[in-house]
Amino acid sequence: MSFVLEPTSDQESVIVRIGKALDFRNAAEFKTVCQEKVREGARNFILDFSETGILDSTGLGSIFSLYRQVSPLNGQVVFASVSRPVQVVVQLTRTYKVFRQFPTVEAAQEALT
Amino acid sequence: MDSQLHHFPNLDTVIDQVHALFDAWETEDYLPPTVNVATLYQLKLAVHEWLANLVQHANFEGDTTDVTLKVEPRDDRLFCAIEDNSDGFVLDSHLNIEPEYLDSLPERGMGLLILKICTEELTYERSELGGYNRLHFYVSAEQDPWLGTQF
Repeated sequence: MSFVLEPTSDQESVIVRIGKALDFRNAAEFKTVCQEKVREGARNFILDFSETGILDSTGLGSIFSLYRQVSPLNGQVVFASVSRPVQVVVQLTRTYKVFRQFPTVEAAQEALT
Repeated sequence: MDSQLHHFPNLDTVIDQVHALFDAWETEDYLPPTVNVATLYQLKLAVHEWLANLVQHANFEGDTTDVTLKVEPRDDRLFCAIEDNSDGFVLDSHLNIEPEYLDSLPERGMGLLILKICTEELTYERSELGGYNRLHFYVSAEQDPWLGTQF
């Protein structure tokens, strides 16, 4: 698995360490592992982009899919430690209007609890 | 900096190899003073989206794969040309789609639009005689592209 999922003390939140890429090669895997977490009760997803060199259109689509899944459950998807290459995608798609951004994973956790 | 020209004979590894090139350019102060690093990231995204299109949809049947990437600074812009020996695409209908026709929070269909809005003077020449297809464009620090995604 190319993603590392970490539970938090808050049972409803999960940290997803995205790693080097979220793109057409692993977007389906991202959807699968996140859907499984939603089935297990997770509602809030903190996406850690600190190591991420590429977020492409398919990767972004998989995040939109997750957002559509958790929004009706009052869940949230938030971005943390957004790397500069990912910030380029956030800016051109204006997705900061949908996904709150935090400077660190810890700041995101604090905001969600 | 000099013009960069690289050949990639393997579709399975082209994405990782190109990413490694961009990483090197970023860390080796590859860019001239007139081009900022955000422009390099924008170029990386545009190149990635096109290569993703090639990897997922191009037909290289019967041929040895050959993808060529050229990057060259020209004044305050970066010029890029990507050639490949696939059967090519009919792109006009895809590139003429306007963002407002995208679904809200779309899962698919954003790749070529991202390529379109990230670039200037985007041109695709499909080979008619079994030669090389050629996509070429510029990226510029002057741009503040917006996909127009509906939320």
